[in-house]
Amino acid sequence: MSTLAVATRHRLLGTQGLVGAGLLAAIVAIAVYGVFLPDSAGRARVAAPYAEPQSGLPLGSDDLGRNLLEQLIVGAGISLSLAFIVAALTTLIAAIVGGLAGIGPRGLSAPLMRGADVMLVLPELILFILAAAFLGQSFWTRVAIMAVILWPVPSRLLRSAVLTSWSRGHLEVARAMGAPLWWVLGRHASYIIGPLLVPVFVRTAMRAIIYDATLSFLGLGDPTTPSWGTTLYWVQVNGVFLSDAWLWWAVPPGAAITLTVLALALIGTSVEDRLNPALKDFS
Amino acid sequence: MTDVQETLPGSTLGRRGSWSYFAGRGLEYALVLAVALTLNFALPRALPGGPMKLFGNPEALARLTAEERAQIASEYGFGQPLWQQFLDYLQGVFTLDLGTSLADGRPVTEAIATALPWTLLLVGTSIVITALLGVSLGVLGGLRRREGKGAGLLAGAIALDSIPQFWLGMLLIVFFGVKLQVLPTFGVSDAGVVTIGGVAEHLILPVVTLTVTGIGYLFMYTRSSLLAVLTSQPVEHAHARGVPRGRLVRRHVLRPALLPVHTILMLDIGFLAAGSIVVETVFAYPGLGRLTFDAIAARDYPLMQGTFLVLTVMVVLMNALADLTYPLLDPRARTGGSR
Amino acid sequence: MKLTVRDLTVRYGDLVAVDRVSLDVGEGELVALVGESGCGKTSLARSLLGLLPRTASVTGSAMLGDLELAGRQEWTGLRGRRIGIVPQGAMTGLSPVHRIGSQLREMITIHESSADPAALIDRVGLPRDVLTSFPHQLSGGQRQRVAIALTLAGQPDLLVADEPTTGLDAITQGQVLALIRSLGISTLIVSHDLTGLLPYADQVDVMYAGRMAETGPAATIARHGGHPYTVGLLTATPSADRAAGWGSIPGAAPPMANLPHGCRFAPRCPIAEDVCHEQEPALLPVGAASGACHFYGSGRVPRYPLVPRGTTDAGEPVAWASGIRHVYRSRTRTTEALRGIDFHVGAGEIVGLVGESGSGKSTLARILLGLIRPTQGRVELSGQDLGTARGRSLRALQRRVGFVHQDPYDSLHPGMRVGEIVAEPLVVAGADKRGRLERVHAALSSAGLSEELLQRFPGQLSGGQRQRVSIALALVGNPVLLVADEATSMLDVSTRGGIATTLRSVATDRGLAVVFVTHDVGEAVQSCDRIVVLKAGRIVEHGTSADVSSSPADPYTAKLLEASHH
Repeated sequence: MSTLAVATRHRLLGTQGLVGAGLLAAIVAIAVYGVFLPDSAGRARVAAPYAEPQSGLPLGSDDLGRNLLEQLIVGAGISLSLAFIVAALTTLIAAIVGGLAGIGPRGLSAPLMRGADVMLVLPELILFILAAAFLGQSFWTRVAIMAVILWPVPSRLLRSAVLTSWSRGHLEVARAMGAPLWWVLGRHASYIIGPLLVPVFVRTAMRAIIYDATLSFLGLGDPTTPSWGTTLYWVQVNGVFLSDAWLWWAVPPGAAITLTVLALALIGTSVEDRLNPALKDFS
Repeated sequence: MTDVQETLPGSTLGRRGSWSYFAGRGLEYALVLAVALTLNFALPRALPGGPMKLFGNPEALARLTAEERAQIASEYGFGQPLWQQFLDYLQGVFTLDLGTSLADGRPVTEAIATALPWTLLLVGTSIVITALLGVSLGVLGGLRRREGKGAGLLAGAIALDSIPQFWLGMLLIVFFGVKLQVLPTFGVSDAGVVTIGGVAEHLILPVVTLTVTGIGYLFMYTRSSLLAVLTSQPVEHAHARGVPRGRLVRRHVLRPALLPVHTILMLDIGFLAAGSIVVETVFAYPGLGRLTFDAIAARDYPLMQGTFLVLTVMVVLMNALADLTYPLLDPRARTGGSR
Repeated sequence: MKLTVRDLTVRYGDLVAVDRVSLDVGEGELVALVGESGCGKTSLARSLLGLLPRTASVTGSAMLGDLELAGRQEWTGLRGRRIGIVPQGAMTGLSPVHRIGSQLREMITIHESSADPAALIDRVGLPRDVLTSFPHQLSGGQRQRVAIALTLAGQPDLLVADEPTTGLDAITQGQVLALIRSLGISTLIVSHDLTGLLPYADQVDVMYAGRMAETGPAATIARHGGHPYTVGLLTATPSADRAAGWGSIPGAAPPMANLPHGCRFAPRCPIAEDVCHEQEPALLPVGAASGACHFYGSGRVPRYPLVPRGTTDAGEPVAWASGIRHVYRSRTRTTEALRGIDFHVGAGEIVGLVGESGSGKSTLARILLGLIRPTQGRVELSGQDLGTARGRSLRALQRRVGFVHQDPYDSLHPGMRVGEIVAEPLVVAGADKRGRLERVHAALSSAGLSEELLQRFPGQLSGGQRQRVSIALALVGNPVLLVADEATSMLDVSTRGGIATTLRSVATDRGLAVVFVTHDVGEAVQSCDRIVVLKAGRIVEHGTSADVSSSPADPYTAKLLEASHH
């Protein structure tokens, strides 16, 4: 059974996706380690300001003498948990909205989709900045803002998936046999739509990480918690790149963001490639 | 065949023409603008602590005397009922009176008018380069999908797409501005003297940042669109009819494959304008994005509202333009047919 | 120009798709290459144009004049100029962004031909203004004519048409074949429809499981009595003449990876003897034709099982619909699918619902299934109102109707085993757990399946087996009405009659009312007691199968019957 599961996973992800999954697993492990660090990690002054890398302080310290490596590790936990919570929440919203818009009553589906269309035209980054500037920067506020702004794209995608699955033969047969809606959805539609949730989740997590880092970089993050974006905000404010400190201060958090997004992108694209029937027979 | 509706042309009682389609889209855009205006109006007023908090930081606010507060409140109409405030706000928007900046007392309209051309220059240059590179590499990646070159291009595109703009901007500044000292990293001119050559030099790094981070998505989009067309029946049939490969790609693959890319490009222009906030901040570029960022930093709310409005309008305009030009490229959208 | 194929073999790795096949297309001749899915006919045709995937290898010889086509690497100047193809699925195969005129001129330019676009359009019988149209503005039949014109533009010596009539309605099919016939170019038509091609072909080649089964002049082939497989194919195509009978060949074609010993047709052949299972027969010439059968020309006549006729009279009406109208509304258009339908079906009777695509037959079927609520009119099932029932009461009514879906490759959950699939209606209805297995077994045996399949997944079954699983699934809940929506249309010709036989036996044995939806009037004539002909949402003809086939009242029905009269 386990060899079968491994084989299936390999088929679903491919080499490229496995590289992404491995990378992501490593980052998650670091983030989990960060959770067990004391609360003061990356927040308290432990060294002289602008300290260069030295033993016990591998990445030096920032302008307030805080441990930059600890900031990086703690930031991983915050970035990832935010991204995963947002992605889970958004995927849930998208599944509900997409389902209702696909097979719900017309009075509900039309306004939902018009709403999504309107949201899609509004520039996301501006909405994020507006919301962050006015509504505050606490973790859960950020999660709520992200979910509210990121739902339209996956909702449209899942709506069309629901519509496609609804016209599939075995769903029509199930409906005709008098199966209740929950049965048709749980037993039949889930088989078709389930795999699509993986790229939806992954893509949303990617966008959440990038947007959260961007907002923090613009100074709209939570200044009391270490995060990759906030560290880079202080890099910008202090003009760190004029000195050699950019190497241990600016490069690690940016590379961390890039690698995390890349890991997710590798997983996402390889799953999408395998789900796309037009490309499947063509390699 | 599974969709009953598709298999049943039956008799067509009525079909809405393209005009009513455009009317529908127009209505949608009007709705978008209305939402944007309402958000702009409502968010500051929903602030905890009331709209007075709009004006400056808390310390400055605390120093105000009761009379001064009353004066501001009456000047901005905060004493009036909400609907009256909304109407006044709308009137301001439609007469291009967006209030005055709190930071330097300039009319918001004037500040925007000064910054807008710089943003258009930056975004315009970037989109042209991004489009040329992204689309042609995407076509190449699609055609060479089986070879190492195609796979390498794809991996590169995914990697580029993962880099945060602001970080790339910083690295470019470090390398080209600080280490090599070959390119300016700040503003658009040296010592306030604006010359064409100087501006071009200052544009290089911001444009590279926008291009490098924007190219990955366009590459992947073009590539998958191309692959879908390559496996489509019309192309297979043209191949079977003896159309040589070069001509097949030029005539039968590129045009249908680039149809959806056109729409994406149009939307990209709008989103790049919004996204320029980040790049303009990193490079201290005096455009709309930088203006927005400064407004946020200084909590200069009238200016913030003004720039947000202009950016949203730009995005909506690009959407509308994409909608309007699409039928020129796709005959199926231009001429109705039996199906 | 003459095409001479000798011992042509196409391999995909270890699999041999075309096994030492020889055929000839004479100057100006029209040759039909006929067989069911997987018999190798398409691989053969595509090998003549170098259109096989890279994994394929071609050996043997195929000479067009003095030009060798087999195993060729360089096809420049051949495709389109020496050999023109009318590819399968021309309905969706034309460039969507170029006008027809421009597509024709492109062909003329690249093949340096002297043809004239307007003359080409005249030649395929289309009006000149088609030149300025885009494909999406034309009907399916018109697009197929354009595809032929595109092929003619290169003035090829040989025409290869791959299933040129698939997807077209019966009347248009005849018109397209007549057009190809009238061109006077050497033509190889690849098709699954033997009887449809007989009136138009000079020569017929029948393939089975990668081998040539029989080859001969169309007139000889048409006179029943050649190769048992050919006889089977002819009897398996339902004729609109009720006297002819509709048969089916038992079993299914063998997979290429697991071919039987000896004659490949022997396991399905009614006249097979021991020698057939041991020795592979060579092509035996008898008269103008030759066949690969040990008993070719021996006069032995294979007897295939025929679809039985109904013997009992219809019982009480089970489903009743009156004054049904249905309108589809979408954002862009409103379509009236049904415009006043009165319809009923009684216990033990099979009613054929006949019409072309767009006639509204599928909509009516879905109204009977409770999947669509009619815009107007009343539907009753066993005296209860189906049209107004909702929620729990609607689902209770739906459990009394069985549904056999058109597409056996999509209608079974791919992740469930046959046993689970067939039991699903019982689970959904909350039926007693103890009786379930017995009812599943009974349903499977009614559908003509053995219990060995219970643990299989649908992906491990043939199309015919899948459709029988669908029937078992429809029967397991002991319904009073069975709706079979184009239940045979996606199956191989040789197995269609078997499905109709099963439907008849469940109607007779279980006293079930059956609605058989089909676009093939021949199938309805052969297997139904009564026939209802729909056109554009209206009933244009209604009567017993015997009456409708012998003396149709409506000219449209007469045209349909004529198109499927063999």
